[in-house]
Amino acid sequence: MSQSARSIIIPHLGRVEGHGGIFVKIVGNTVHEVNMDIFEGSRYYEALLKGKHFLDVQGIITRVCAICSANHTVAALTALEEALGIKQSDRIHTLRGLLLLGATIESHALHVFALALPDFLGFDSVITMASKYPVEVAFALRLKQLGNRLQELVGGRAIHPINTLVGGFGRIPRHRDLHAIREELAAVLDPLMGTVELVGGLPIPAWASQPTVYVALRPYENAFRFRGVSICTSRGEEFPISSYRDVIREFTVEHSHAKHSALVSGETYMVGSLARLKLWGHLLGGRAREAFGRLFPDGVPDNVLLNNWAQLVELVHSVEHAVEVCDELLGMPEVDREMVDYEVRAGRGVGAIEVPRGTLFHEYELDDDGLVVSANVITPTAQNLANVERDLRSAVEKLLAPGEPIEDARLKLNLEMVARAYDPCISCSVHLTRLPG
Amino acid sequence: MEASKPKVGIFGLTGCAGDQLQILNCEDELLRLAQRLDIVDWVMARSNNDHLCRLDIAFVEGVVATERDLQSLKEVRARSKVLVALGTCAVWGGLPAMKNDIPRQTLEREVYGATPPPLDSVEALAPTEFVPFELQLPGCPIERREFLGAVNAIFAGTWPDLPRVPVCWECKGKENVCRVVHAQEVCCGAMTRAGCGARCPSHGVACAGCRGPIEEPNYDANITMFAGRGISWVEIARKMSHFSAPVWMTHGLEQEMRHEPKR
Repeated sequence: MSQSARSIIIPHLGRVEGHGGIFVKIVGNTVHEVNMDIFEGSRYYEALLKGKHFLDVQGIITRVCAICSANHTVAALTALEEALGIKQSDRIHTLRGLLLLGATIESHALHVFALALPDFLGFDSVITMASKYPVEVAFALRLKQLGNRLQELVGGRAIHPINTLVGGFGRIPRHRDLHAIREELAAVLDPLMGTVELVGGLPIPAWASQPTVYVALRPYENAFRFRGVSICTSRGEEFPISSYRDVIREFTVEHSHAKHSALVSGETYMVGSLARLKLWGHLLGGRAREAFGRLFPDGVPDNVLLNNWAQLVELVHSVEHAVEVCDELLGMPEVDREMVDYEVRAGRGVGAIEVPRGTLFHEYELDDDGLVVSANVITPTAQNLANVERDLRSAVEKLLAPGEPIEDARLKLNLEMVARAYDPCISCSVHLTRLPG
Repeated sequence: MEASKPKVGIFGLTGCAGDQLQILNCEDELLRLAQRLDIVDWVMARSNNDHLCRLDIAFVEGVVATERDLQSLKEVRARSKVLVALGTCAVWGGLPAMKNDIPRQTLEREVYGATPPPLDSVEALAPTEFVPFELQLPGCPIERREFLGAVNAIFAGTWPDLPRVPVCWECKGKENVCRVVHAQEVCCGAMTRAGCGARCPSHGVACAGCRGPIEEPNYDANITMFAGRGISWVEIARKMSHFSAPVWMTHGLEQEMRHEPKR
């Protein structure tokens, strides 16, 4: 075969949130360069926060990204409350958890069914997919809407929540509303298990497999949870959340407006649903355990395309757990408003939570007047970017390996599938990051 | 029938993609909408897009924050019959425009460190500053109801009737307790365009002004009202500077703040 150079260029990656592209240069059968270009404009959110009052932080930082707005909200409030020494009441902790479940249901339903699944069933969008799979698409939209309504009930709005405050909530959801949504959640579990069957029959190509290091938070209780107490890796290491800056090394690269991340060892790693199932899948219960067994009969293999199905397992878990959380809230006495009393003081706090795309870190330092001295946000997508490039390179090498010519169109589609499997949120990744303290 | 469907493009410049997500959040209407419209260019939702064809309706969200954004915006304008600005970023500049007070070099250094990568970054401004728009829908994010109403109106060959009254008008209708009168808070409702159903005050939270100013907001009267309730200049400026007030006004307030002893 001749040593002719060949470039694969995807100028604008479709069916992802934000603006990015892929550039691959191949000479002969060797991959010379793989770039995931992030050209979404920088928005300097952390610099914007400097000097702002802590009460204004949530309203600003939520607008880093729409689809992750509830997650940024909870991470920011967790960090700010730690800085101020506020202890969340049971109800507030539980309600914030319900908000995160709503965000996960909405985000995963959108990604699994509308953004990823069309690739596996041979369509270019969910709209064309609806012509052949009308029932499934209608169900996915219903599920997504349910996630949104849960966020509306708790956060006041599906995008950029307004009901969530430092120390509590403006308005606590009424029991009759909680009861109504609980019934609807319970009713979607059976059809959701039906989609697990549909997806379980689809083959997963091997060209995307590659050993990877996974990172996820240890759940705060002995169950599958999206909030955690320490940072764990699939190599058995464990670190306190407060030391996240020592665990994750951020660096800038020329072709990207978003920073990249690696572990201190220099290895890239993956955060997200697949990482959570790898580390904590054994803690799943109920129907989610069934779905996990159906989609991952031999454990969790190293293949990023399976992140799509890992999200589906988490969808089942989120719906099921949201029903339990509603029951828990219905067992508490009904109140209009709940706010913890606190005094403004100087301090520093880190909030880390598991959000649909992986581990999200927020850190704030406040002065005596409650003004932000420094802010730091590390998003899952920024952490994954270096690993996305590593997986793209490996996929191209595997696809070229048989020596048979492979068309550009197929290479492009397969590379897009790898990038999309990470469910990248490019708005989130470009905002960025450390302010000197 | 296929030929008579209007060709539609949906575009996001720099931003949070919240307004495009609001369109996807119209779950009950989405499939019917897709039947009535021929959505030919929507990178967020599909992979095979036609980036060149003429468009009957184009929606644009986000701010111009890169040279690339500006170029995309001009291209979209050139190929569209009706151009609609989606959301407060596209209409007013929104939160990303807040960064303009800080020198660009400072921003780059603080965010990317001593050696920033080559950045395509310009002052964030609303697309409405660069090209004419036929229709502007504010909101952070837009209201689904307003978006669907606008699509229907354009279908019918007319324009939607958008509220011109302030948020207070809707808030009173809901019989909410006034955040200014009863909680001594800086509530931007009197300066902000209605259409959200006074969502924040209905949750016991002051209006942040995310839908942008009404046609003739009386900033002075509002500031006097807040100050008269013992709220400090610092607090007034802080709250109003997010969405409600133009930059010149917050500069004026900062001048005032210098004369005020620190709390």
